[in-house]
Order: sequence, then C-alpha cells, then structure tokens
Amino acid sequence: MSKIVNAQGLSCPQPVLLTKKAMAETSDILTIVDSPDQAENVARMARGAGWTVQMDGKEDGIYVRVTRPQEAAPPQSAETVRPAAAPLAVGTAQPAGGPLVLTIPEDTMGRGERELGTVLIRAFFHTLLQVQPCPDVIVFFNSGVRLVVEGSPVLEDLRALAAQGVQLLACGTCLGYFELKDKVAVGTVSNMYAIAETLLGAGKVVSL
Amino acid sequence: MDKPMYGVVLFPSVSHCMRAESLVQAAGLRCKLIPVPRELSSDCGVALRFGWEERERIQALLDEAGLEHEGIYPLS
Repeated sequence: MSKIVNAQGLSCPQPVLLTKKAMAETSDILTIVDSPDQAENVARMARGAGWTVQMDGKEDGIYVRVTRPQEAAPPQSAETVRPAAAPLAVGTAQPAGGPLVLTIPEDTMGRGERELGTVLIRAFFHTLLQVQPCPDVIVFFNSGVRLVVEGSPVLEDLRALAAQGVQLLACGTCLGYFELKDKVAVGTVSNMYAIAETLLGAGKVVSL
Repeated sequence: MDKPMYGVVLFPSVSHCMRAESLVQAAGLRCKLIPVPRELSSDCGVALRFGWEERERIQALLDEAGLEHEGIYPLS
C-alpha cells in the first residue's frame, strides 16, 4: 500500500521536499500535486535517486507514484552513485527538522572585489557537485538570479545539480527587475511566499 | 593509466589563472576555472581545466604569452 503525500495546495518546493522525506522512510509513495510542473519536479527528483515513477492525471490532481526499485539499498543508506561523479545521497543526511537550504544573494561570492567574487562563486558551484552534503534547495535572489539565466558562468553546474534533484528557486521579483524573466535557463521562478516558507521550514540554512 | 578526461594547469596566483582563462577563451578553446583538485595540492587556489586532448595547444598558448604556470596534470 502506498504512503500518501498530499501536496495539493502547496507551493514549490514543498511537494518535492515532502516526497523526499517520505523516500527516507518507505519504498512506495503516492504524491498528489496540483500542476504538471510540480509533478515533473517530483518525478525528476525521484528518477535522479534511481526510483521508478508513474504519473497519472486525474480530475482532482496529478498522482505521482514513486517506488524504490527492488535491488536498491534499504532506506538507511539510500545512496545513488552517478557515473564519473561522487556518490550523492538523496533522502539521507538531512539536518534534523528539515531540508538543507542554500541562499545565493549575489552573483558573486564575498565582498570587496567583484572580479575575485566571480572566480569564487564559480569554484563554489563546481565543488557543490563533489562534496557532501548536497543542498536540497538553492534560493537565488537579488543579483543572484543572474546565475540562473542564459550566459551564466555556472549554468552547467546548476543543470547538473538540478538533474540530481536539487531544487533551484529564483525570485520572480528580482528576475522581473533585471528584465531576465524570459532568459531563465534553469530552475523554477519562485515568489516571496515560497521562498519565505522554504527558509523558515528549513532544517539548516547556509547563506553565501 | 587510462587516457585521462581532463588536463589541469596550476598557476602561481589567482590572477595568473584568470589571465590564462581569458587567453584560452580568446583562442576559442573550452576551459573551466575550478578549485585546485585536492589530490594535486592542499593549498587554496584555482586552476584551469580543459579537455586532455587540448593540452599541447594550451601549453603553446601559455608559452607564447610568457604566462608563468606550474605544470599540466591529468585529471580523470
């Protein structure tokens, strides 16, 4: 019998986070979401962890069934090894009480020298793919949203992170301010409600 | 050893590395600025990574520009 995660009425990234949490506890989950985008995000995260996904559009929502493949390890050590990359643990190593959230308030890292800051932020995203733990969510705001648009120096790394189930949220107000809304190349355009909920519901927030 | 995927060149300073990156990109070659891999050095610093097959071209570029560097290493 599937464990039911009713994520209807919840905004991104809640459906993904609730599903991920359930994945650490059980092998068969049915997540119900409102929109195809949310269903896709849940599916992508689950597939990235090596789970099987079935999607069903119903009248009252989209039903996403995720099941752990038989040969995989039990919940305590749910690790997925990616070819040519370090093993990434999905659904484990969560700080007590909630997801690991990383905030990116600028398109550079540190203050004082902008040129150095661009070098540092590129190095930082490069290492995120190789070190543990990996963030569950990365939130971009103010000039940080420049990193999720076409031409961003960290686009490839962000795409790799997204493919591994990391949720990337970029503030819509900021994208609008910089007139970059139609240039978003990775991640989800989010809003202050979802971002505030994500920060407040986090187990740990790492602010760059 | 199996053919490595990447080559990595180390530099005496961050600004050397940044100059090298501009040179390589101006020549139309692909490269990525990365932190120095831990197996090569415990120092903090950045290095330039490129496809292993480009190492001779990159070496030539750096020599032509007289840009000091600390060696090219294979990286899988």
